[in-house]
Amino acid sequence: MMGRNEIRLRRDRMSSGHIARHRNYDELMERHQRHLRIRRIAVACIYIILLISLLAIFIVSKQKKHNPPGKPSTTTALLQVNGECQMVNEVPSPRL
Amino acid sequence: MSGEELQKEYAILERSRKDPRAFGELYEKYFDRIFNYIFRQTDDEDLTADLCSQTFLNALKHVGRYEFRGYPFSAWLYKIASNEVNKHYRKLKTEKVFSIEELRIRELIDQANVDWDDEVIGRLMNYLRGLPTEMLEVLELRFYEDKDFKEIAFILDITESGAKMRTYRALDRLRKNFNLRIKYDGKE
Repeated sequence: MMGRNEIRLRRDRMSSGHIARHRNYDELMERHQRHLRIRRIAVACIYIILLISLLAIFIVSKQKKHNPPGKPSTTTALLQVNGECQMVNEVPSPRL
Repeated sequence: MSGEELQKEYAILERSRKDPRAFGELYEKYFDRIFNYIFRQTDDEDLTADLCSQTFLNALKHVGRYEFRGYPFSAWLYKIASNEVNKHYRKLKTEKVFSIEELRIRELIDQANVDWDDEVIGRLMNYLRGLPTEMLEVLELRFYEDKDFKEIAFILDITESGAKMRTYRALDRLRKNFNLRIKYDGKE
């Protein structure tokens, strides 16, 4: 910062009594507690999002294990042959 | 600051890490100094109150990270305050205000046996207006806050020799402009 500055002259430094109006440690503590609360909530949210993501990955990978991509999934079908109902297993599901 | 005082402050900081209430002692001790330091760079009481509060809040937030590196705790507070002021001016994009106390300037001029009149004040203001911000920052810490060069270097994030160079250059210009003989660090 090399720019010119505005210089003002005043009689003396501010008195301690005058500054005391702005001194408020309780308010500072309140702001600090609020900050801590927000930070805790943010951390909790991050953990929850992380947990949900891990759970989702786990469920998807488990589903993939049950249905390997090469093998077509089979279903059970109820077929009517000559007026009789027959339960048929291992009918390949139609590929889309 | 004596070693005993430094240790006492460090003990308070240690306690503050577990119980933020303990920080109150340091808040009370340094509030006025930090307030005056910021006020000199803003000349706005409400803004100073906000920046001062933010300075102590930041100190409290990061008290766990504070490490003793040979500087008193106050130097760390000044550093945070200086950063807050700079952040404010960066956001506002206006020229920096330096509101200086006449009494301290008068002390310096009196040392040189120069009569204090409107003409001298006018010349002095012009001289200060012509100084770059870096020099004014150093002069402020040196003459208003009585900081040594090591602390100034830490506060402004510059080298110790850089702090010395800026001060001597500013004083050289002052001596030339005003024909003063200001005693400074044993040199005239």
